[in-house]
Amino acid sequence: MLFRRIYQFMIVYAVFLAILLAVKKGLSLSDYVIPGLPLILETAVQMSAGYLRDVMDTLSVTVLGQGISIFMAFFVGILGRKSSWAGSMIRVTAYNIQAYPIVALAPIIFILLGDGFLSRLLIASMICYFPLLLSVLGVMAAPVENIEHFYIATGRMRWQLEVKIRAFENLSKLTTVIAGSATLAMAGTIVAEFIAANAGIGYSIRIALYQSNLAAILTALFMIGIIISIYQGILETLGEMVKAKWGSENKEELL
Amino acid sequence: MKHANILGPLLVMIACICIAGLSDSRAEQISLNYRLKWLFNTSVAGDILAQEKGYFAAAGLVVTVKEGSPEKDAIKELELGYADFGVASADQVIRALEKGADVVVLAQIFQTNPMQWIYRDSQIQITRLSDLQGCRMGITYGGNDETIMKTLLAKAGLTLRDVQVTGVRFDFTPFLRKQVTLWPVYRNSQGVILAGQLAREGESVRFFNPADFGVDFVANSVVTSGKMAADHPDQIERFLSALLKAWEAAMDPANQDQVLAAVKKYDTGTQGDVQKAQLDATRNLVKPRPDIAVGRIQQAAWAQTEAIMLEQGLIRQPVDVTSRLSMHHVK
Repeated sequence: MLFRRIYQFMIVYAVFLAILLAVKKGLSLSDYVIPGLPLILETAVQMSAGYLRDVMDTLSVTVLGQGISIFMAFFVGILGRKSSWAGSMIRVTAYNIQAYPIVALAPIIFILLGDGFLSRLLIASMICYFPLLLSVLGVMAAPVENIEHFYIATGRMRWQLEVKIRAFENLSKLTTVIAGSATLAMAGTIVAEFIAANAGIGYSIRIALYQSNLAAILTALFMIGIIISIYQGILETLGEMVKAKWGSENKEELL
Repeated sequence: MKHANILGPLLVMIACICIAGLSDSRAEQISLNYRLKWLFNTSVAGDILAQEKGYFAAAGLVVTVKEGSPEKDAIKELELGYADFGVASADQVIRALEKGADVVVLAQIFQTNPMQWIYRDSQIQITRLSDLQGCRMGITYGGNDETIMKTLLAKAGLTLRDVQVTGVRFDFTPFLRKQVTLWPVYRNSQGVILAGQLAREGESVRFFNPADFGVDFVANSVVTSGKMAADHPDQIERFLSALLKAWEAAMDPANQDQVLAAVKKYDTGTQGDVQKAQLDATRNLVKPRPDIAVGRIQQAAWAQTEAIMLEQGLIRQPVDVTSRLSMHHVK
């Protein structure tokens, strides 16, 4: 799965690059507008070591940010699964917070937390959290009636069991969403770095943009793509393992 | 009866002549796109006036003036055919030339670079470059201010290690909280706002202008493509003549009210008194003396800008930027 992720990304990147180079050739554009292959390769050789460090820095924030958003999404999702007034209030608050564009909230975040690690983490979590929340709410708010009915009828239903049943029945959906949200967490971190951080690949992309250096930006995109593919591949593999293990354990327990 | 017979064809003839005349004048109208470097505000007062007060129209031009942003690069748009004229900073021009872009500089809007550093009077006095040693300063990594500051420090025999650098972001909190002594600003936009804010707090500020210490790093200039320069010199003449006339008018204190009214139409978010102060600051940067024509190209400053970029490794080989300066438009 991991290997497939990487070569699929390589294919997408190669196609994207080929289109760019075809446009360059077709319109006879200079290296300033679209860099030629020699310039891209030269820049990649110069920058890739530094950019790899930057991407790893970004990834460390991404992993943490995703962890926080998974926790938050499950926390809010479990609290908000009931159709009670409180549940509805939690859902509305969660939706409203997400409705504000992050670029409008960013200045407040940076004033309160500075332009260091915490701001990046918070913005990454905020961007990643909402799609996760939607899925978790969707899963947690939908009763699995044929199983839950038995526990309700016998008076054995507890909230922990309810959550467990619903999570187990939608395990595949949840693991897919969690793996998919890695890209959102990465995008969130990069956005935060781009807006106002002093580290990470988003910050390096901003510098390259200041210098109209598209070759450097293409190198950065390649690095981001490779690393996120590996990360997602690992998450998917872990998801499969969890599904296999947790699934069999819980099936026995529930039966 | 006889008169009636003549009158009919005569009226038709007059109508035909009028229509022909109209279509002729429409055919003479040339549509052009002009990409600015930044958003509409007082620092593009001349560009706005050219549009609003009919300077372009009087030259037979229909010009669409488009706002800029960090992501919009006028030189790239010239090459892609999205713009016919644009505003670009000198470093953009030099980088573009190094990468094979065909760009020509027609006029230099700012005679003094608006990129300067603001500081509180009470915190530091900068009379010599060596006063910068140990200073806490803001720098935008990868930005022009980093290049300029490195050059200034080098002139004083210093490097960035001899000062305490804070990376600049979009809000001024580190400066307002006095965590940083020198903060880079555009003198005629953010500089005015910050100075006003601090004046209300009873603090007086000064601006550290690199040009005062012999570093003339050229800022915004009007550019076009080499192809346009070769194929349509007449259009360039008409466009530039209209634009520079508008800029001259915009920088004339006698036209202040008219200019501010025109700017207000485009920049509705800035208060009137701030815009007035911004216009005063812009005037000093664009037309520092009455005898200096707006748009004058300072060849030596361009050569210095290229030399600085070469020295700092921002370009790998000389590009002979002075050969791309079209000197004959502004006397």
